[in-house]
Amino acid sequence: MIARVLAVYLKEVRDALRDRRTALMILVASVITGPLTLVLVAHFVSGLESRATTLKVRIAGASHAPALVNFLQRADVEIEKAPADYEARVRQGTLDAVIVVPEDFHERWLAQDDARVRLVYDDSRTESGPAIRQAERLLEAFNRETAWLRLMARGVSPSVSETVKVDRVNAATPRQKGAVLLFLIPMFALLAPLLGGMTIAIDATAGERERGSLEPLLANPVPTAAFALGKWLAAWTSAAAVAAVTLAGFLVAAVTYAERKVPALQFGAPEYGRFLLLAVPLAAATAGVQMLIATYGRSYREAQTYVSYLATAVSFIPLAVMFTGARDAAWQAAVPALGQLMAMQRVLRGDALAVMDYAVPAAVALAIAAASVAAVARLLRDERIVFGRS
Amino acid sequence: MIAVEGLAKRFGAVEAVRGVTFAAEDGRVTGLLGPNGAGKTTTLRMVSTLLAPSAGSVRVDGLDAAADPLAVRARLGTLSDARGLYARLTARENIAYYGELRGLAREAIDAATARLAALLELGPLLDRPTGGFSQGERMKVAIARALVHDPANVVLDEPTNGLDVMTTRSLREAVRRLREAGKCVLFSSHVMQEVAALCDEIVIVSHGAVAARGTPAAVREAAGCEDLEEAFVRLAGIEREALP
Repeated sequence: MIARVLAVYLKEVRDALRDRRTALMILVASVITGPLTLVLVAHFVSGLESRATTLKVRIAGASHAPALVNFLQRADVEIEKAPADYEARVRQGTLDAVIVVPEDFHERWLAQDDARVRLVYDDSRTESGPAIRQAERLLEAFNRETAWLRLMARGVSPSVSETVKVDRVNAATPRQKGAVLLFLIPMFALLAPLLGGMTIAIDATAGERERGSLEPLLANPVPTAAFALGKWLAAWTSAAAVAAVTLAGFLVAAVTYAERKVPALQFGAPEYGRFLLLAVPLAAATAGVQMLIATYGRSYREAQTYVSYLATAVSFIPLAVMFTGARDAAWQAAVPALGQLMAMQRVLRGDALAVMDYAVPAAVALAIAAASVAAVARLLRDERIVFGRS
Repeated sequence: MIAVEGLAKRFGAVEAVRGVTFAAEDGRVTGLLGPNGAGKTTTLRMVSTLLAPSAGSVRVDGLDAAADPLAVRARLGTLSDARGLYARLTARENIAYYGELRGLAREAIDAATARLAALLELGPLLDRPTGGFSQGERMKVAIARALVHDPANVVLDEPTNGLDVMTTRSLREAVRRLREAGKCVLFSSHVMQEVAALCDEIVIVSHGAVAARGTPAAVREAAGCEDLEEAFVRLAGIEREALP
């Protein structure tokens, strides 16, 4: 039995490797797209952080507000004169936020008579967000300081105006900030096995039916379970290999570029290893389910359509988690793909994972794989599958 | 030795095979002759254990196909109706894969490949991917693949279908040599000349049942005419169908 399984396995792997174009396409797609996205996102995020960390405001008409300018200078804020066409520039996105001071500001401010400034911004662009909030906060602080001074001048304690003091404590560690960015890596870690297992899963089932090679194959004195097992092992190998290569691409991109840009991000060799411990068992399940679905396909193309529904379903999971903001819960480990996703996010947050955190999702994945292989073995004895061509 | 008794197969409301009985002896070529749709392929699929009969039995070298399909398959070499090859693998690799599935050792596979390449004139094709092969070349590889374990019983479903004259001749020659080697050869065809040229025993199948069987001479006698083709037409009941 083992020798037969091995023969089927080796034949499928060899056959798949002969298909150079497909193999190359998958490799390029997996190696290039993921890490490239990571580099782009890291670039974007580091840009956000540099915009937010250097305190800088743009003011039109700064000379009308000497007190405000004085406050900003004391707070070490760099003041830049806004160009005349600031409104157009804000709209274009080359300026984030501009404080506009009217000519009569200083007189009104001194007279305590409805002194106004305008804050011009476009909040439809997310990358402007930090700069807008910064300008708002600085204006609020100026406001508060002025109020305090005036209250004190009248002999009133400043605490009257501020009944609740808010001390901001950002609980996100630098690594946790990186995990937000690294939603990306778990997503690719879930999808890479699907991409990698698909070709063999389809070619070894629907492909055999379409070519008319299934009937003679089954005329050999070999139990159908040996065929199902050998074919599934080949699909799993391919799925796991593509996952390993894809994650290796992320490793290289993170170590050589992204981690320098975003220090919060950490995806080194230990994280790579932990990701593989989660992704490789998952690949066993996806390869098995893909093969089971593809067995119902009478042709390669038909099977491809069915199998792509699975990829859609799996790619929906990270999106659902992202938008619902699902928290970690014990039951998630038992849900394929979701369990792996949540564990991967914990790896990126720098949490330590226990053995059970790997073992439970792996056990579920292997159980699904076993059930799929058994179902394929049964289908290969089904007359409608074996002879139901065209 | 293949013995078929009372074999029947029903697909829903359709009775594809209705009580077919015949025996194919060792060292003889037995031809299953009948028009398209007569039930030849269904019968051969039941012989090769890929279809379960609704009724009746198949015995190969005394082994019951229903009770022990794997043992029966081990004693058969089958060229099935579907005969797809793996296009990216070479002819040699296609043949070797089936050898491995039948548990042959590396040396046995190499020896069998050399023997079959000589029998089927495959020599120069062996190390080329089968994707570029002509229909006749693909057929030869499919036959070589089915015979890699040197089976005692050979089942060929329409082996010459769609082949040119030269390939057909070389295939017939191969079948004769299998008979000389003492094999039991059972093959199906809808071409009279094919069967006349090769068979020691003819089984005419029509509408899923045996219309006549025996040596070519006996079949001619049963039909009451000298010409075998004429006998085929009469016995298979084609004449009545063709005329309104």
